[in-house]
Amino acid sequence: MTGEDLAARQAELVAALVAGGPLPAGFAPAPVEAARRALLRKRAGDVARHWPLLAAGLGDAWPATFAGWAAGRPTNGSLRDGWDLARELRDQGTLPSLGAEELAVREAASRYDGRGAPRPRRLPAVARAGGAVAAQLAGRVRLLRPAPR
Amino acid sequence: MTTGPSGVGIGWRSEIAGFVAGLPGLRFVEVVAEAVAPAGPLPDGLAELRGRGVTVVPHGVKLSLGGAEPVDPARVAHLAGVATALDAPLVSEHIAFVRAGGLEAGHLLPLPRSREAVAAVVANVRRAQAELPVPLALEPIAALFDWPDDELDEADFLTEILDATGALLLLDVANVHANARNRGGDPAALLDRLPLDRIAYVHVAGGAEQGGFYHDTHTDPVPAEVLDLVRELCGRRRPPALLLERDGHYPPAAELRGELDALAAASGYPVVT
Amino acid sequence: MTVLAGDTWGVPGPVFLRWYLVAAVVLVVGALVYRWRALAGTPVHDGGPLGPQQVAYLNGGEQLAVWTALGGLRRAGAVGVRPDRRLTTGGPLPAGVTPLDQAIHHAASRGLRSRELGRDEWVRRALDELRDGLVRRGLALDKERRATLRRGALLVGALLALGFVRAFAGMSNSRPVGWLMLTLVPLFIAFLLLNRVPWRTRAADRALRELRRQHTWLRPSAAPAYATYGPSDAAMGVALFGTATLWSMDPGFAEQAEIQRQAMGASGSSGSSCGGGSSCGGGSSCGGGGGCGGGGGCGG
Repeated sequence: MTGEDLAARQAELVAALVAGGPLPAGFAPAPVEAARRALLRKRAGDVARHWPLLAAGLGDAWPATFAGWAAGRPTNGSLRDGWDLARELRDQGTLPSLGAEELAVREAASRYDGRGAPRPRRLPAVARAGGAVAAQLAGRVRLLRPAPR
Repeated sequence: MTTGPSGVGIGWRSEIAGFVAGLPGLRFVEVVAEAVAPAGPLPDGLAELRGRGVTVVPHGVKLSLGGAEPVDPARVAHLAGVATALDAPLVSEHIAFVRAGGLEAGHLLPLPRSREAVAAVVANVRRAQAELPVPLALEPIAALFDWPDDELDEADFLTEILDATGALLLLDVANVHANARNRGGDPAALLDRLPLDRIAYVHVAGGAEQGGFYHDTHTDPVPAEVLDLVRELCGRRRPPALLLERDGHYPPAAELRGELDALAAASGYPVVT
Repeated sequence: MTVLAGDTWGVPGPVFLRWYLVAAVVLVVGALVYRWRALAGTPVHDGGPLGPQQVAYLNGGEQLAVWTALGGLRRAGAVGVRPDRRLTTGGPLPAGVTPLDQAIHHAASRGLRSRELGRDEWVRRALDELRDGLVRRGLALDKERRATLRRGALLVGALLALGFVRAFAGMSNSRPVGWLMLTLVPLFIAFLLLNRVPWRTRAADRALRELRRQHTWLRPSAAPAYATYGPSDAAMGVALFGTATLWSMDPGFAEQAEIQRQAMGASGSSGSSCGGGSSCGGGSSCGGGGGCGGGGGCGG
């Protein structure tokens, strides 16, 4: 195995673990699958730390909801992962109230285009998510209206 | 520079900074290097520990020393900067890779135990060592699976890397337990063959059985088997320091103190609680 | 000194202005000195360390003291919330509780809502007791003391009124009043400022600053492990850093019990200490980010 070989095989393995790629030749399926699942659990914990209200709002459904969304989707960092998931749930209409409030607050505070790192907004802004309304003025964010319950 | 790690320590995390600050006998903690900004002010709790003369060792998790590509110079510079900011006697990282082909694994992944992998790790460790102001200790990881390309056994693989780089060893006893449990092998026999005189300090962490595997979670209590292994290790050659790693599901303070006391009892070092 | 026919009230402008200035300076300086002395207070170490509810009262008044007690009781498992948002008791009171704890526990046993707690008679009595203790320790000011302090402002106000009348009279007399008007502006500002009487002493300010410095690990941005810290630390977190502590400790309870929300900094809400940078490493030793969740393999 040459150096380039090692690079290619490492890439294959990572793709199989986080991007839904096929199992590289020669690996035992069950342990790699166990590692893939463990990785999703760990990611779920990391994202919950960055999005505590989103995770709390989903409660017991959080690990499965996150794993279902994240399987085959490589991480963009916990902050963006949670953000993308919250937006998707919002679009589906399944975002819990707590998560909607957290998303509204984040959207009011920062501009996030879904591709790069979120940036703090300089101008005053109002953001809505799932019925929750948040406003930001000079860096202070306030939830104007909680999501309906 | 502060003295090297000694006695029983604990991984410093902002979540339990108040608990760590309240440990009267503590002489040594570890901090995740990526969580510290070398240019900015130190996190309050860390600054206070440094003021008390507690040794703080930066522990990198994202260098990807085992990657086939050269290690990112900016990440090495960050680790070096944190070591300087903390006045650390050494830094530590893993024998693992965390990204490949432009994808982040978000996790420490095992290398094939092959000559090529040894060469890749050695080259990256040397690149890092050239930029680091202090010695580097390398930690073998826990993995659930093996590569089909293995040519060496674990002890030979580690010894070759350490010999070629002159790096210190950060032995994670829980990883030794996990690997033996999940991938086979006798943990005590592995201890017999590792260069125990090269150990800078030891990691001890908790884990849990799930789906037929032992997961090194760092969020569960330290199992009795791991403490037994600590005693086995100390019976052969007591390492200068042992560090409890806890990364989540933090238990009540009394339970955490109990784990530190158990570590002190197993190693014969003074209690820090 | 000759009294000119046109002088307002028979006193020449420069003479009035001189005496007016002297009176203003004497009154304002006097009020300031009195205020400085009255607000000094008694250093905290003279009376032993402050409890979380005392800290909360000094930091944010009655409402924060109520949230603080509720936070401690919640962490101890002594209160819960029902689906209809009414509080309930979750277990017996732990040892070493304060009268406010008892009052809130009692209110919870009667199914009050969290926002009704401040109006409950028992809670009110406990809050009064809390305030009286702080007044006795020289950390808070009672009504009488604050009224006395406002008397300085009142005197300055009287002088201000005199000045306005004089200026008005002077203007109708076609006398120049520019200098007098210029004097009235700072005097008016001094009047407004003296009217604002703080309700805690400088000793209390110092104590709060010191406590915040000692307890930076309880900032919600540090994602404190409340399970490790225990009820009294959780209560201190609410006392020093507000209800964000309750929201980060127990979001489900905070939501259901309708705990007040705080304005947040732009970096986002409760849990995150790292706003947007991709450089944010997280706290865990296993491959980045703190694994607070269930059972994933770590391997580091």
